[in-house]
Amino acid sequence: MITAEALMKRYGNKVAVDGISFTVEPGQVTGFLGPNGAGKSTTMRMIVGLDKPNSGRVEVNGRQYRGHRAPLQEVGVLLDARAAHSGRTAYKHLLAIAATHGIGATRVHEVIQMAGLDSVARKRVGGFSLGMRQRLGIATALLGDPATIILDEPVNGLDPEGIRWVRTLMRDLAAEGRTVLLSSHLMSEMAQTADRLIVVGRGKILADDSITNVISRATRSVTRVRTRDTQRLVDTIAGTEVVASVMPDGAVEIQGMTAEEVALAASASGVVLYEVASVSGSLEEAYLALTAGEVEYRSLAAAGTGAHR
Amino acid sequence: MNTAVTSRGTATLGDKRISFAGVLRSEFIKLTSLRANMGLLLAIMVSGMVVNLALALTMGDAGLPSEPSIPFMLDQVTVGTVLFGQLLAGVLGVIVMAGEYSSGTVHSTLVAVPSRVTVLAAKAVVVFVTVTAVGLVTLVGSWAASYPMYAAFGLGIGLAAPGVALALLSGASYLGFSAVLGLGIGTLLRSVAAGVATVISVILLLPLVLSVLPVSPLIRELHLLTMSKAGDAMVSVADPSAGLMNLADGYLSPTAGWLVAVAWSGVFLVVGAIRLVRKDA
Repeated sequence: MITAEALMKRYGNKVAVDGISFTVEPGQVTGFLGPNGAGKSTTMRMIVGLDKPNSGRVEVNGRQYRGHRAPLQEVGVLLDARAAHSGRTAYKHLLAIAATHGIGATRVHEVIQMAGLDSVARKRVGGFSLGMRQRLGIATALLGDPATIILDEPVNGLDPEGIRWVRTLMRDLAAEGRTVLLSSHLMSEMAQTADRLIVVGRGKILADDSITNVISRATRSVTRVRTRDTQRLVDTIAGTEVVASVMPDGAVEIQGMTAEEVALAASASGVVLYEVASVSGSLEEAYLALTAGEVEYRSLAAAGTGAHR
Repeated sequence: MNTAVTSRGTATLGDKRISFAGVLRSEFIKLTSLRANMGLLLAIMVSGMVVNLALALTMGDAGLPSEPSIPFMLDQVTVGTVLFGQLLAGVLGVIVMAGEYSSGTVHSTLVAVPSRVTVLAAKAVVVFVTVTAVGLVTLVGSWAASYPMYAAFGLGIGLAAPGVALALLSGASYLGFSAVLGLGIGTLLRSVAAGVATVISVILLLPLVLSVLPVSPLIRELHLLTMSKAGDAMVSVADPSAGLMNLADGYLSPTAGWLVAVAWSGVFLVVGAIRLVRKDA
């Protein structure tokens, strides 16, 4: 369980995290989404005490991170895959971190196996691919068998097998009743892994809800139909709550009615439909809609067409 | 690759907690698991021994004292270890902390041990003890290796001679303090390059610069209170009639050398600690 209250962080005169409050509950995977520079990593760094908030507070399992007797058993964290010295072997890296808590070599070997690093454990980290470094970072996070796991972009650079491993691992950890906070820019990955989402933009929370609610609120769900009697259909269903628009390809997209309602109305007035589909938004659409005005770094091509802040 | 998914292994971890002994062990593992660090420790031994042997082998041509002289022997045996060792130890000290910033390891370190003072204290203890031990092996080894050559001239001096064992131990400790000085600088600057440049300036250039300035009593006295002058004093034998120090005569007793070395390394360590605690990692 992670609880943040009015958490604020400033670098110089730039506000990175602007007084956010949120709770990350145990037993589910919480996704942390936002554009580059939105304050995700800064928030994660504040959770584990690497950065001090200018104001506000954040607690893990009821107290500040630094107040725990065995922090590695409370929180396992992967912030940056480059958090191991390239001249040290993966085994020694893990052994040194484990030693601080009196965690023995047995557990080190266990996490090496879990992360699939057996064959390279005695090799220097400098020769590791990004994916192997991610695996090492996740192994590090699991060392203390922690109640809360925080992973910043864990699937970055992982192969498909590795991505599936992380996804299953996160789901299993949450199922065991642990708290899992995960950031990623891969929307499809997030949609498959997370139960709940916290979306941030420019240091503020834009959405904090279940993944289905985030999608349904930020995107429009429409019923798409095709018929030869487009005009008659539109006249039939027209009403104050209903918006029907004819697409260039001839399909009619109707907002405000379910597929069933449209089909019944069409049937009643003798209009033949040869395609009826409910079209709901994707997480990616929801995310882009939510963060449209909050993007810190926008590519030039998009700047011309995208919504302006 | 392995796809085991549970985070709980076969063994249950049980209740663990941070202990200072554990942090010391962690820091020792980190110090000894990098080739560069082991290379620096080895370089202290090699440079000390090589200079000692070169001096011992050529002392016949260099003008010998007429009878066994403790100051002469100590000077010959320790000069290489102190001169090269102070710089190598200082660089090692810088790397121990600044290297964590350049490699990103500092995040892993501070997440495991959120108390930054504990981390720095453990690093200071580990680097001091390790470097002092290496220095002691080098100095005693140097003495042992060159003893037969001194004996051949009838100048052999045993470890039991007054002040000799203490001077060798002090010389080793001086290397330890140099490493702690480097650790403080590395913590303050968080950059290996800047840290190495600074530690070399403090140890090597500061006395040099002070000695080329126009000689005034003040400059001469300050010159005597620099880190490397403290090192020279620590490997000397005390002159009981001269007291703790006599800056006007240019005399610094071994005890005063200890105090100066502790002050230099201590000040940088404390300043480094303040920055470490105050600034975000």
